[in-house]
Amino acid sequence: MTEAGYFDPVSVDEVVALLAADDEAKCVAGGASLVAMMNARLVEPSRLVSLRHVEELKKIETAEDGWLQIGALVRHCDVAIADELADGNQILSQAASLIANPVIRDMGTIGGSVGHFDPAADYPVALSALGAEIEIASEKGRRRIPVSNFFVDWYETALEPGDLITCIRVPPPPTGSTGIYEKLAKVKGDLGIAMVAVIMAMQGDAVSHLAVSVGGCGPKPIRLPEAEQALIGGSIDEAAIQDLVGKLSTASDPVDDVRASAAYRKLLIPRLVAQAIGQAKVNLRDGS
Amino acid sequence: MVAEKTTNEMYQVGKSIPKVDAREKVLGRAQYIAELTRPNMLFGAMLQSPYAHARIIAYDTTAAEKVTGVKCVLTGDDFEDHKMGPFIKDEGAIAKGKVRYMGEPVACVAAEDEETARAAALLINVEYEELPTVLSPEAALEAGAAVLHEDLADYFKVFEAIAENNLMSYTEISEGDVDKAWDECDLIVENVYETQAQNHLSLEPCGALAEVEPDGLINLWSANQSVFRVQANVCECLGLPMSRVRSMTPKVGAGFGNKMEAHIQPLCVALALATKRPVKMILSREEDFETVRARHPFKIRCKTGVKKDGTFVAREVELLLDGGAFADDSPGVLGNATLMSVGPYHFPHAKAFGKVAYTNHLRFAAFRGFGNPQVTFAGEAQINDIADKLGIDPIDLRLKNVLAKGQQWFGGQKVDSNGIYECLEKVRVSSDWDNKRKNSGENGIGISVAGHISGLLATGAIVRMLEDGTFVLNTGATDIGQGSDTVLTQICAEALQIPIDRIRTATPDTDASPYNWGTTASRVTYTTGRAVVGAAEDAVRQIKDYAAIVLESLADDLELREGGMVGIKGANKEVSFFEIAAMTHWGVGGPIVGSHTLVFDQSTIDPKRAVAKGMPFTNIGVFTFAAMVSEVAINQVTGKASAEGAWYAVDVGQAINPGLVEGQIDGGYAQGLGYALFEEMIWDDGRLANPTLMDYKVPGTAEVPYDIDTTIVEHPEPDGPFGAKGVGEITLVTVPASICNAITHASGVRLRKMPFSPERVLNGIIENEIT
Ligand SMILES: Cc1cc2nc3c(=O)[nH]c(=O)nc-3n(C[C@H](O)[C@H](O)[C@H](O)COP(=O)(O)OP(=O)(O)OC[C@H]3O[C@@H](n4cnc5c(N)ncnc54)[C@H](O)[C@@H]3O)c2cc1C
Repeated sequence: MTEAGYFDPVSVDEVVALLAADDEAKCVAGGASLVAMMNARLVEPSRLVSLRHVEELKKIETAEDGWLQIGALVRHCDVAIADELADGNQILSQAASLIANPVIRDMGTIGGSVGHFDPAADYPVALSALGAEIEIASEKGRRRIPVSNFFVDWYETALEPGDLITCIRVPPPPTGSTGIYEKLAKVKGDLGIAMVAVIMAMQGDAVSHLAVSVGGCGPKPIRLPEAEQALIGGSIDEAAIQDLVGKLSTASDPVDDVRASAAYRKLLIPRLVAQAIGQAKVNLRDGS
Repeated sequence: MVAEKTTNEMYQVGKSIPKVDAREKVLGRAQYIAELTRPNMLFGAMLQSPYAHARIIAYDTTAAEKVTGVKCVLTGDDFEDHKMGPFIKDEGAIAKGKVRYMGEPVACVAAEDEETARAAALLINVEYEELPTVLSPEAALEAGAAVLHEDLADYFKVFEAIAENNLMSYTEISEGDVDKAWDECDLIVENVYETQAQNHLSLEPCGALAEVEPDGLINLWSANQSVFRVQANVCECLGLPMSRVRSMTPKVGAGFGNKMEAHIQPLCVALALATKRPVKMILSREEDFETVRARHPFKIRCKTGVKKDGTFVAREVELLLDGGAFADDSPGVLGNATLMSVGPYHFPHAKAFGKVAYTNHLRFAAFRGFGNPQVTFAGEAQINDIADKLGIDPIDLRLKNVLAKGQQWFGGQKVDSNGIYECLEKVRVSSDWDNKRKNSGENGIGISVAGHISGLLATGAIVRMLEDGTFVLNTGATDIGQGSDTVLTQICAEALQIPIDRIRTATPDTDASPYNWGTTASRVTYTTGRAVVGAAEDAVRQIKDYAAIVLESLADDLELREGGMVGIKGANKEVSFFEIAAMTHWGVGGPIVGSHTLVFDQSTIDPKRAVAKGMPFTNIGVFTFAAMVSEVAINQVTGKASAEGAWYAVDVGQAINPGLVEGQIDGGYAQGLGYALFEEMIWDDGRLANPTLMDYKVPGTAEVPYDIDTTIVEHPEPDGPFGAKGVGEITLVTVPASICNAITHASGVRLRKMPFSPERVLNGIIENEIT
């Protein structure tokens, strides 16, 4: 990489044009992951397109359809304290506040995290429970992809060469919902061994909304909408919880890595999920 | 928390003065190896082996040599067949003929800048023929296993090594008659324990800078724990006379055994000799992980027999160590582990024996504790099991069996200063043991005790008076950040009765410093401190002789007075060091130089008491003692154990600088905690899978409890400087065992394999739920 390969555009149109012109180009947001990978010679982009002067990507705003749009360049430290994220949607702030350490949270961006898609990353788990959408710009125009279709496989997303993530779209939270984000890490600030996100709401004794997502235990976040649906309207007793956690554990496909074994993750999933749902119930009862 | 301290007041000793180099370090002005530069300097880089075991067939360096900016490429063919090693001389400067572990340096490059050097190194082509690998000590010792060192029998060994094929060393010590003693026991417990490899993880990676002077002298700066070991290793493996290498040190960003023997210095010197230009090499974190050294994984079979009332009768310990591809300090670690494996207890019958094997892993070597943390983990965990089975409080059981005053260490060495009993009593109180042990809440507490040596080998000191009556102290001991420059200055200032700022500590330099084996084995305060006292006393003798002339008195009637004065006892008449300095420099006698050297000479084995085979050393050191209590909390959902508190009592003989003793306790605790809970080097078929800080996790501020309680116990060591002995290693030795015992107290789970990961704890919890 020479200086000639570094670009500093100010608009989304310019960015996508620069990306389209070179297959080996990469955009650089916070640089937290990309620069580390370049140092380790894991990637050698021919050109770097910096996003730092693209104002459009830095906004958090509510769209006409009521969804919250978080610009791709919004940093983890800002998501962690975003007032716009209320009720169950607060899991996104909780997830942001548990990423790495303050230095990385000051550098890293939500677009970078989603674009990089480390299978142990925190945002994808929370976004999956939220039912968020990823908005993408390219030379062909803009499109939106639901998270469930965006994360594809180990380190693989629906992004195509020349694509730029412009914002992350989050639906309004279910009324009266609460959110729990749990991360088990070896030491504080490490990538997680396993993560769990739960969004839940109840009407009286009956569950009116439930979304459970598990991370770090397979190529992409695990969600089982049908199994969740089966609990709606019920009182979410111990048997119902056991049924759901069993299915999540079965659906998981963890691997042995330097952080923990696959067997341990299988063991953890039911325990972590049951704990998170239990905590959500307590929150809803206590009105917190 | 401020350390508690009680002793007779002294002038400079016993005071927590700030480190003499604190200011330059806090201001960021201290210079470390990576910051040094020389005019016209080149940068070195290396190519590492992609195989764990392979024959080298051919090199092709043409592509690398063609790169603009590359000045020289060296391969194994450019090196003569010389070998180095502290115990067994089995290691060259670079792989030659074959590679023995993945990551081993096979070629190196010097270029105008670091990027060019690193890129060019990757262009060197090496043709290999793969050989079968041995990746565990068990596999290595199997009949017919691939042999790492075909010439082992011919290698020079500094001790009577029992070595053959992949057996690097066998050591055995026994006392009494263990085999017969089992019959006398009411309870016998036997278990197998396993420990993992730990990386030293100095903040500063290893590096060196070499330059050849016009007259042929090689100046060599490097991150090291001993300029003298650097000199010896470089000269041995490059076939140079020691008079041609001048080894020096900038500030060192910590060493825990990793910088004691050679790392990159021989390659750096070879490149400087080949290019006739200064060459600097600084390892990346990954290279440091892959090529320097690490703590030995142990397998330990431990068997202990006791009477119903808790009296210890017999212990047998069998060890199996992975030594890695080169011997380095392995025979020493095995020897020390054998010697430490009965702990600070009286066992009438004891036997410890073990093997260390060559494998196709990175060399394992010295690391804070030198084999003791592993055997202390096993022994102390087992003693807790025994306490539980007998229904005796773990501290009471220990108090009943620790070495009493006058009792000898395993092997027969006499123990003069022994504060172990007091250490146990102190932590019992400071940790609120009796209450916490009763309350079985979420948290658990655990105890462990240990003894460790401080000593070994030769050291010296020169105390030189300058023209104005101030002094230069020169010992050749590298201050690796632990504060030995400060402590040695305090010792010297005490002996001379002068303020600290009248003494300058010279930086280690093999051209100018007296010999010092190294900053290792918890030895600098104790051994070098003794040399400093001796040298200062030598200077004082001379000072008094000249003062006697000035004061028209007899030297025997004179006394030192605080602040650099010599006076006649009982009289006002006195003369200052300033006047003595002027007189000796310009008129009478000659400038004052005090000096003293010694080699530690107390025998470790008493042949009348013990039988020893394959011992790599004869005189190891005096004994330091510690007791510690750890508190942990267990997350019942995940099994994760977290440290909630630590209480130490350490017998250091005499704290020269209590603040620095505390620093060693805090640091030893944090490093021990990482070892107990998080750290593990993981190999995947010969490849180190986690050679980065992204994947190798150490405790951070969130994992280490804020307040580590320390009690300093002082049972003076008779020949120690002002009674002092070492503290660097003992503070880590006790940690894994105390954490392990606390986990058992909290959860009922007894772990015998380190680290104590959430997975292992959770599996234990689930197993207990089932049974
Ligand atoms: C020490 C460390 C610890 C970490 N710990 C955690 C953790 O605990 N949890 C966690 O979730 N993450 C963790 N991370 C990753 C962290 O969250 C990164 O900040 C994030 O993955 C990348 O964000 P960035 O803005 O720095 O992206 P960059 O590094 O700039 O880019 C990363 C990748 O995304 C692409 N990219 C960036 N922006 C866009 C965009 N708008 N559209 C399309 N592609 C884009 C880049 O081309 C590149 O390929 C850690 C990282 C480090 C270095």
